[in-house]
Amino acid sequence: MDVLWEGLGEYSEDILRCIRCGFCNSVCPTSNASFSYMASKTSRGRLVMLQSILRKSSTINPLDREFRRLIDLCFGCRRCLEVCPAGVRIPQLMWRVRSLGGGGGRLRLMLKHYGAIEKTASRIHRLSNLILGSRLGRRILQTLAGIDSRAPFPRFSPPLESMIKQSPGQGRPLAYFIDIFTNYHESGLGLRVAGFLERLGYSVYAPVQREAGTPLLEEGLLEEAKQVARFNVSSLLREVERGARILTSSPAAYLALKRDYPELLGDEDSRVVAENTVDVLEIIREEVDGGRIRFREGRGRLIYHSSCFSKATGMSGLIIGLLESAGYSVEVREECCGIAGMWGMMREHYEEALDVGSRLFSKIRGADVPVVSQSETCRLQISHHAGVRTLHPFEALLGRIQSR
Amino acid sequence: MRYFSRVSENDLDFLEGLLGSRNLSTREEELIANSIDAYQGGFHKPEVVVWPEEPEQVSQILRYCNERRIPVYTRGGGTGLSGTTPIHGGVLISTVKMNRIIEVMDRDMQVRVQPGLIYERLNKELESHGLFFPPDPASASYCTIGGMVACNASGLKAVKYGTTRDYVLGFQAAFPDGSLRRVGFHTFKYSTGYDLVKMMVGSQGTLGVFTEITLRLRTLPEHAETIAAFFPSIRLATETIYHIVRRGLDVAALEFMDGWMTRAVSEFKGLGFPEAGAMILVESHGTRSAVRETLSRVRDIIREHGGFGIMEAEDEASRKRLWDARRGAYPATLRLAKTLVISDIIVPLSRLAEAVEKAYEIGDRHGVKVYCIGHFGDGNIHAHWCAEERGDEVLRKLHEANDEYSLYAISVGGAVSAEHGIGTEKKKFLRLQHPEAYDLLLKVKRMIDPNCILSPGIMFDVDEVIG
Ligand SMILES: Cc1cc2nc3c(=O)[nH]c(=O)nc-3n(C[C@H](O)[C@H](O)[C@H](O)COP(=O)(O)OP(=O)(O)OC[C@H]3O[C@@H](n4cnc5c(N)ncnc54)[C@H](O)[C@@H]3O)c2cc1C
Ligand code: SF4
Ligand code: SF4
Repeated sequence: MDVLWEGLGEYSEDILRCIRCGFCNSVCPTSNASFSYMASKTSRGRLVMLQSILRKSSTINPLDREFRRLIDLCFGCRRCLEVCPAGVRIPQLMWRVRSLGGGGGRLRLMLKHYGAIEKTASRIHRLSNLILGSRLGRRILQTLAGIDSRAPFPRFSPPLESMIKQSPGQGRPLAYFIDIFTNYHESGLGLRVAGFLERLGYSVYAPVQREAGTPLLEEGLLEEAKQVARFNVSSLLREVERGARILTSSPAAYLALKRDYPELLGDEDSRVVAENTVDVLEIIREEVDGGRIRFREGRGRLIYHSSCFSKATGMSGLIIGLLESAGYSVEVREECCGIAGMWGMMREHYEEALDVGSRLFSKIRGADVPVVSQSETCRLQISHHAGVRTLHPFEALLGRIQSR
Repeated sequence: MRYFSRVSENDLDFLEGLLGSRNLSTREEELIANSIDAYQGGFHKPEVVVWPEEPEQVSQILRYCNERRIPVYTRGGGTGLSGTTPIHGGVLISTVKMNRIIEVMDRDMQVRVQPGLIYERLNKELESHGLFFPPDPASASYCTIGGMVACNASGLKAVKYGTTRDYVLGFQAAFPDGSLRRVGFHTFKYSTGYDLVKMMVGSQGTLGVFTEITLRLRTLPEHAETIAAFFPSIRLATETIYHIVRRGLDVAALEFMDGWMTRAVSEFKGLGFPEAGAMILVESHGTRSAVRETLSRVRDIIREHGGFGIMEAEDEASRKRLWDARRGAYPATLRLAKTLVISDIIVPLSRLAEAVEKAYEIGDRHGVKVYCIGHFGDGNIHAHWCAEERGDEVLRKLHEANDEYSLYAISVGGAVSAEHGIGTEKKKFLRLQHPEAYDLLLKVKRMIDPNCILSPGIMFDVDEVIG
């Protein structure tokens, strides 16, 4: 249908390039859930349906709500990108299909402002937590924002951005690109990251920034996502020009800077920011390799959950290597937990997310060792549904690090 | 008048009663998603998709559809490359819910599986037993055992391990008369009259629907090593391959890539391969000393034939890198060509170099680019016919070149398909392929499926069967 040809631009070519091999299905978390015995609920199925629309071989309307539900079964984890022989940019394509419309208006409105909403809630975190700790509060959240009242929802913490410096002090400058979750829900972790790096001679500060904007992309709010990306890139570029590197501790923030912004904006500025972005775990690796820190003798066991974004950024190998160097024997779990950022919290996906995650939960439920995962929402989902203790890899490493 | 009946409300009621409402769908989205496979043959929607969970349900569907003259197609992973989509509509049986390993018979080195099990998952499960099912098609991560048996699939290692057919000891299948029969044994050999098991392998859903399959397994090799080598010309590479086979060296894979493909893969994967007319990959499996001995002789043969730049991979990671080069061939071609048709011919060993040159000659004549790779240890050539444009006209041109290549294969005593099957794509060659036995093939089809309800239009035109 012409709305696809016109709306997707160069991404129509990705649809036509698909050879329908099904390799994406083999790694796609939702395509392996129990409901995905139906081909239309799988990744290849989505490509086939889109091909049929482009080739005018079906009566499917790309703006139809039911079709949109099928498109929404891609939650952007990017596992498929590793295996697609035709180089189809599958999740990026789905963002574009969503951008054509057919989605829920209320969610879109909420998403457009979610950065500001989160910031406000974090500033009044005591009150926010009181409200969201009650059943009524969760019901209101469900009605207003579509977040299922049974889903895990993170407690608010005071904003990290107000607890660390706004500009570099003494030391090698690291401009911290924090993103929503660490900023407003896990500021304690962010503070420990900053403190640790300060002790190593870095100067960690929070430049002017907005949220990373991954949920905007996911929802197909591309113009809004571009605005956010431009804002962040121009601010972070200033810091790079001043000699800072950009620091992240969240895989979503890292992925946004390294991949999504350059892809979205296609400009030199975003590429420069990408090149100068470094995760705290990469810095630990550099410091260990440079002999400036080492790991204390010790043994321990833990489970490493390789989150979708840790895989997509290629960070999982580095993390496993670090954990092993720190003396841990590591059991690696590749299964997806089903949350995919906010996807699995939403009312219409809550059950589906449980279905996706059930294969992981059954393997780790009752584990007597912590589960380490880089992704904040994965940790939330895993501790909620598998009842196990979770840690960011940084926290698992911190106790083992000895400076020289 | 229309020969087949359309699926009616009554038929849907019957199917729903048999399978439950969750296990059938007539939604446009679902019909479309099941209307095409990996062959470029257009969309052909079934009228209803069903997901049986029990063999008896499959046999009842067949009995009912046979009485009602409704076409029945079976779909596993839908990765088929020969065009086996529901061109006459009807019922599409999806086997995805019949995907269990029923029993690993460790001591007998066999496994009983349901047909919808994905190949790679089977081997993953068998790893802890030290066993594996060897055929290893490139579609391993998504093709099903049922689809592999129905197409007699094979892959990179066929030169040592053979094809799927060599591993099927028996099966349970549903037939159009509504029967559900077990055929075959749990032994590695037998001399018990006509071999119905082997006959059904490769039948592409035209004779029966497999509901359970018993496979023979092999022991995972103790050790494996791979080497790659480059050659100034195609002929020197194919001569090398011939001599490796001829001297009876125990190789597990013997792969060929022509110069263009070598360059394309090298660029795509950043491998820095030298400029060459062709490249080969050789792998050997066995005990460490046997593998070393075999590959040392292989190296001698390579050098005797002017091979250079030999690369050796002894551990898993470096072997993977070499195989990534081979696996990168398809993606590399897909980056360069918007339209692609792949041949699956197989020729006698003496014809290998000639067959590659023949592809180039046909390509030149049709104004089509062509690049050759293949499992040359057994003579299987995948010529990649490529075009930088898209469109029906371009696709037709590529098919024409490929058709001519198929005719060439038949003319030298080869076959139009070594792995992918006949499907709709190559049915026009079936008579030529079996000039003196085609009528027997038809008789077999008519005897088992007289109303031609099973995969009509695949392998045979409907008129021919019911004619
Ligand atoms: C990228 C790619 C690479 C490939 N590489 C190879 C390769 O290296 N070697 C190779 O041999 N093939 C290869 N193929 C082709 C294809 O994967 C094989 O033919 C495979 O065996 C098909 O399995 P499937 O489960 O996808 O079958 P489908 O495509 O679903 O079906 C194929 C045929 O099998 C029939 N069938 C399926 N299940 C049953 C059943 N239970 N009972 C009766 N009939 C049934 C169908 O009716 C149909 O006729 C490749 C395909 C792709 C897309
Ligand atoms: S991005 Fe993830 S959810 Fe989406 S199709 Fe790829 S693997 Fe599936
Ligand atoms: S892996 Fe790529 S080419 Fe294969 S079905 Fe998925 S999108 Fe299509």
